[in-house]
Amino acid sequence: MSGLGPKRLGKELTKIQNSLPPGITLVSADNLEEWFLDIQVLDQNPLYAGQTYRLKFKFSKSYPIEPPEVTFTKTDNRPIPMHPHIYSNGIICLDLLGSQGWSPVQNVESVCMSIQSMLTGNTKDERPPGDEEFVRGNRLRPRDIDFYYHDNTV
Amino acid sequence: MKVKIKNWNAVATWRWDLPEDDVCGICQVQFDGTCPTCKYPGDDCSLLSGKCGHNFHMHCIMEWIKQDSSKGQCPMCRQKFEWGPEVGVPQQQEGQQGVAAGE
Repeated sequence: MSGLGPKRLGKELTKIQNSLPPGITLVSADNLEEWFLDIQVLDQNPLYAGQTYRLKFKFSKSYPIEPPEVTFTKTDNRPIPMHPHIYSNGIICLDLLGSQGWSPVQNVESVCMSIQSMLTGNTKDERPPGDEEFVRGNRLRPRDIDFYYHDNTV
Repeated sequence: MKVKIKNWNAVATWRWDLPEDDVCGICQVQFDGTCPTCKYPGDDCSLLSGKCGHNFHMHCIMEWIKQDSSKGQCPMCRQKFEWGPEVGVPQQQEGQQGVAAGE
């Protein structure tokens, strides 16, 4: 359906420019294809205390019927958070970002909150198994990767 | 004094029988507005109420349902999204009318 994506993104942008939950800030949304948001973990999780992380959202024309592509991106003062479901190249393994777990009632704000709580609840200072190999070899876009959920307790 | 009405213009307003600020979860437009592909609200851009109790613009939910990945599920509650032939007309109401007619 042409038209659904841009209008809905426009509405979302108006809303998040006015208010976002604590620990989530809009960095830039210069067009309706790529947005950047910063997230912080607000509780005293020692793994993430005092750090800020940058998320990149990429929207296809079919958003929100299709999920956005969401990855962490690294800059001078924005590292990639340590987490058993986050690869060191910023790719996030989270069911709601895949076509099997996505729902069109999700939105940028709810995705940020899910990622924020995924960090909040984590205690393991580690990368997914096979991180090095994956980061070296992967040429697929995140949505085309069939993630194998190594550890669903995380 | 006799007044002769030469012509008159009737104006009516309508709205869907839903809370005023309710929005379609898919396009996030109020139900009294259209889905993003339509121009005029009303019969041309109707709503679809699932048996699970969640409502959407018909055009929006159909875009979702026709995706394989939707598995036919409601985007809100992930129950199977089903709708009856008489959306918005509860069975009990018909029954009450029947009783009234008999009195």
